[in-house]
Amino acid sequence: MEKSKYPLYFSFPAIIVFLVFFITPTVIGFYYSFTDWNINASSIKFNGLDNYKELFNEPRLKQAFTNTLIFAAAVTVLQNVAGLGLALILNEKLKLRNLLRMIFFMPYVIAPLVIGYIFRAIYHPEHGIVNKFFDTIGLDFMMQDWLNDPKFALFTIIITDIWRVAGFSMVVYLAGLQFIPKDLIESASIDGAHYWTRFKHVVFPLLAPAFTVNILLAMIGSMKVFEIVMVLTEGGPGYTTEVFYTYIRNTFSSGEMGYATAINMLLFALVTLVGVPVLMAMKKREVEM
Amino acid sequence: MRKKLSPFALEILAIALALLILIPFFMIFVNSFKGIRESALFGLSLPSTWEFSNYKDVFKQDNILRGFKNSFLLSALVVVCVNLFASMAAFVIQRRGGKFLNGVYMAFIMGLIVPVSIIPTIRLMDVLHIKGTYFSIVMYYTAVLLPFAVFLLVGFIKSVPRELDEAAILEGCGYFRLYLKIILPLISTVLVTVSIVVIVSVWNDFFGPFYLVTDSTKWTIVLQVFNFVTLYSTNWGIVFAFMIVVITPVLIIYLFLQRYIIDGLTAGSVKG
Repeated sequence: MEKSKYPLYFSFPAIIVFLVFFITPTVIGFYYSFTDWNINASSIKFNGLDNYKELFNEPRLKQAFTNTLIFAAAVTVLQNVAGLGLALILNEKLKLRNLLRMIFFMPYVIAPLVIGYIFRAIYHPEHGIVNKFFDTIGLDFMMQDWLNDPKFALFTIIITDIWRVAGFSMVVYLAGLQFIPKDLIESASIDGAHYWTRFKHVVFPLLAPAFTVNILLAMIGSMKVFEIVMVLTEGGPGYTTEVFYTYIRNTFSSGEMGYATAINMLLFALVTLVGVPVLMAMKKREVEM
Repeated sequence: MRKKLSPFALEILAIALALLILIPFFMIFVNSFKGIRESALFGLSLPSTWEFSNYKDVFKQDNILRGFKNSFLLSALVVVCVNLFASMAAFVIQRRGGKFLNGVYMAFIMGLIVPVSIIPTIRLMDVLHIKGTYFSIVMYYTAVLLPFAVFLLVGFIKSVPRELDEAAILEGCGYFRLYLKIILPLISTVLVTVSIVVIVSVWNDFFGPFYLVTDSTKWTIVLQVFNFVTLYSTNWGIVFAFMIVVITPVLIIYLFLQRYIIDGLTAGSVKG
């Protein structure tokens, strides 16, 4: 059948909505990031690279940039380690397998904002169950002010996010594991391969698609982190947990729209620079398969 | 590891890890029945006196019902828009191809990665005179969620044989009927996945309405939580009761649909 007979206009509603409500704001954002747009000023003037110049001299941007990268790298690695670990465990024939899978995925369906509030209580320096736990088992030195101590705050947020998303990675890895033919693993074990060898030479290579999906999603998701940080620390103490979106929010609240848009453009550049190569690698492999 | 851990040891390990997930939920549950002093201790013990009045206080707030209504309305509208627009587009992108549609597909794939420029979006809504309307927020979510839906659906439609199209067209079926009567039913499992992901995203989102909805009568339930905590953070019992009220419907839906969620992610993610 001729391909050209499929009606092109079927794609129009999607294209129009995407063009108007996604691409247009991105493009006009690019323009506004070169203006002095301020909520209190009567007019918007073009001011060239001023916003960017100011931003690059701003230690706070450096902080937000570093923190976002640390957060994204740590979450990507830990989420995948945790997710793969859970998947390997729950791929075995355990009695409570289905129930356990369901429990691990559960945090993913709860609003990140609500999770942030729950963990604010959990990390409370005096009453929170984390410190109470360390106190009870006699590890008093482990008791910390998890969210207000600059040494720990970012780490605490990372752990909280892992708690939230590990189950998602688990499900994707479980999916990948299902695609591995059972007889392949069996023949490997008959050949005398131990668990670790089998994992390295049979399971790991065949899990490659699940890895790409998980790593891509974890990376782009974590660079866009907002609610968890906003609720847990608001970017503090100081700016030690500031990420792009909390920085944007604070600049937005003070009415500096042009400046806030410039921050958004930098996030845009960062995510594109990191995400696109990974995506391209993914597409290339897809062709090979 | 020389030998595999025994299944029993693995099971114990898995249960211990599952407790890490369950304890925070248990913590808010028991504290939601505690009085103002006791709940501020965030403990895991059962309440000394059960304060059911916390829940009564929560339901006395009429903005909560309104919040639920708004979240429900938005989720439903976005589900319809995303499924309809994405499936139509994915159908011709996969079947027709060509330079233009491949370009469109690439644009959607890029949309999967890059972040929304939120402040210009507010400006755009303002210029279009739709700022703060349900329409504007439905369009915002549709635009944001379309890339993912198109990506998933294009991948899936590949598995629907073209011979079916040919047979249908030979029988005198038009392209619209082909899409409606043959393609849509065959991709219905993925549409369920798309719907679930859309519902979870819209229902739980704070970012979008925080920036785009100024009128408090249009606030979603998550925005109500934000507002409520700011107002009532002195009484954690009531705050926790509110959280239980907010997450219970999501958890119930999840319990019923978790098979589809997990199967759908399975089918979609690794295939994609």
